[in-house]
Amino acid sequence: MRDYEKYIRYRTFPTPWCPGCGDGVILKSIAMAFAELKLDPDEIVVVAGIGCSGRMPTYFNTNTLHTTHGRALTFATGIKLARPEKVVVVISGDGDATAIGGNHLIHAARRNIGIKMILINNGIYGMTGGQVSPLTPPKFFTETTPYGNIEPHFNVRTLLTAAEATFVARETVNRLMQLKQVIKKSFQHKGFSVVEVMSNCHVNLGRRNKMKSPLVMTKYIKDITMPMADFEKLSPEEQAPKYPLGIFVENNQRLEYTDLYYNHIVPVAQQSGAKGEK
Amino acid sequence: MEKEELKANQDAQERRAKKKSSPKKNKITLVPLYCKGCGLCVDICPTGTLQLYDDPKNKFGASVIIEAPDYCIGCKMCELQCPDFAIFINYEQEKKEGAQ
Amino acid sequence: MSQRKVLQGNIIIAKAALAAGCDFFAGYPITPSSEIAQYMSKEMPKMERAFIQMEDEIASLGACIGASLAGKKTMTATSGPGFSLMQEHLGMAVMAEVPVVIVNVMRGGPSTGMPTKPAQADMMQARWGTHGDHPIIAVYPAFSEEIFSETVRAFNLAEKYWNPVILLLDEVLGKAHMDVEIPEPGSYEVYWEKTHQINDLNIYDRKIGENPPRIDFFHGYPIHIDGLEHDAHGWPSFDAKTVDKMQKLRMQKIYQNLDDIIKYKEYFLDDAEVMVFSFGISARSALAAVKMAREQGIKAGLFQALTIWPFPRAAMQERFKRIKKVLTVEMNMGQMKYEVERIAPADVEKQTLLRANGMPFSPDEVLNAMKEFVK
Repeated sequence: MRDYEKYIRYRTFPTPWCPGCGDGVILKSIAMAFAELKLDPDEIVVVAGIGCSGRMPTYFNTNTLHTTHGRALTFATGIKLARPEKVVVVISGDGDATAIGGNHLIHAARRNIGIKMILINNGIYGMTGGQVSPLTPPKFFTETTPYGNIEPHFNVRTLLTAAEATFVARETVNRLMQLKQVIKKSFQHKGFSVVEVMSNCHVNLGRRNKMKSPLVMTKYIKDITMPMADFEKLSPEEQAPKYPLGIFVENNQRLEYTDLYYNHIVPVAQQSGAKGEK
Repeated sequence: MEKEELKANQDAQERRAKKKSSPKKNKITLVPLYCKGCGLCVDICPTGTLQLYDDPKNKFGASVIIEAPDYCIGCKMCELQCPDFAIFINYEQEKKEGAQ
Repeated sequence: MSQRKVLQGNIIIAKAALAAGCDFFAGYPITPSSEIAQYMSKEMPKMERAFIQMEDEIASLGACIGASLAGKKTMTATSGPGFSLMQEHLGMAVMAEVPVVIVNVMRGGPSTGMPTKPAQADMMQARWGTHGDHPIIAVYPAFSEEIFSETVRAFNLAEKYWNPVILLLDEVLGKAHMDVEIPEPGSYEVYWEKTHQINDLNIYDRKIGENPPRIDFFHGYPIHIDGLEHDAHGWPSFDAKTVDKMQKLRMQKIYQNLDDIIKYKEYFLDDAEVMVFSFGISARSALAAVKMAREQGIKAGLFQALTIWPFPRAAMQERFKRIKKVLTVEMNMGQMKYEVERIAPADVEKQTLLRANGMPFSPDEVLNAMKEFVK
């Protein structure tokens, strides 16, 4: 048995995702990251919302929680504040993170609570049949933009940097070794960490935009992404349709929320209590 | 199989034509129970060891077959890539359900 | 030693929650329940318990459910608008069978309504606010000692039956400073079953009507909790027979234990000719009115419901065998009156005293309504 298989619940297999879906690749990457960090499966809890990414917890052999749409971060905040020593991972799709859950995303970043978030960006709402999402690139055709998408998409990197997040990274399902390394690094980060993973939904987004096969759509993702160093060399017009990759923010200066609460607030409160309140 | 899968098979064949067989023997374990025939492993294998074929028993229509086992150089890119835990390289210890 | 104090209703709830062992509070400020959050924010860090002010009410209830699954006794407090927002997560707590206490200090509605005026207009919402078939327990104290004891009982019921419990109150009882006797710690039951070692995924399997043992994360076996309809292992399952069984399990754990859950108080009903049915702030006026009526020779009595849901139907039907006049007094346009009409036999005369303009009933108003009734 491979070391990463310890974190997989084979009894629920096969997975519900389409053939070639990036979700399966990400499932494996996260399991490999857990294995390299030698974590105990019972010490981990994986929380997700609704959507294809939301089905991922069922396949992890850790404590898992499948919650409501967009609110996985709130449940994870409760778990982390209740048991700060446990590893809390949140898996999120487009809608969970940037549409209905957008508010919780920026607050979790602002608090710097030690939750590890994997944001799967496939540019579409896959589970419900292929409607446009806040991360769909402009001009793409979807079920609710039959004449082309007229809205710009969120730049998750700048959004989270502005929300004071302390670890922001982006990778793709093509660069398998780097994906595993970045996920592992994000798990080792003390505060709130987000890894945005560009993934392929060839059945819902690709098929309506001339990329029906996973083999073609993964090549498309390879074409539009590049390491940050190369991205910076491009002119603004060339930069517009492309996505830089790598770790953008890694700030170890800010204290993590539960650390601040239990090691700073609680002692202060206990001292004031000892002064003889009623 | 669609034209993209046929093209992946063809590219793998071209890669096989360029290489000689691998010096070391590497064991490929397939798990047909989980394989969905997506073809990502066929595409990523640097030596063209794997092929897709039309499989009436697979509900997704196609399955992966080991076309040239001697060509496998043990890089494990297929194992890293596979979204469905359906392929393992040099998987020594236990036997898994449905393994060939 | 029990202590005699003058405390605000909200603070009585907060003190009772801490006495019941509440060790996680997540809330969002809203008039008239902000004092609960403020008191908790001050006291909980002293006891090394967790307090957090979340970004909205939806996040508050989400954090409470998460923490409850991580082994804490959790509570959140809100009012009408926040309670409406919490409905989705309330349903999730029912589906996943997670204990949590939700305080709703009712105010004038709908929408923003009258933040600083009382109302009793969330009664039906407490039962049916969230979508789908779901059992719920809702308790509503009226007198000062009841505010303390019902809060502790709310935590006990939540832990015992693995269900969210709604603790209703109104703006007057929440904000008023009242004379209360805080009972001595140890003189009341605090239910807390330690989680047993979990050995497999079969977490919901039990006989219909049985009390489930507590399950939470980090107890030796990685488990799966889901908001989707699931089988006894927690796996998502839409198979017809499985769903039937799970629905029954969730409903019957409440409905086969009504003796333990339902609570009410009866005053002067043994020889009464007219029964006043009320709860909360209206019950206080009604009790004073009933006492005045007795002094004037009217045979009146009061049935005060402490558990609103499940409704104390059996006890009331027992009284309706002899009492043939019932007056429902509530501060809304008519909500619990429909329950009374539904369960009272046809030969019982039913009347109501209703008002939804933010003015609580005075005992004289209730007395006049009683006099009109028996004329």
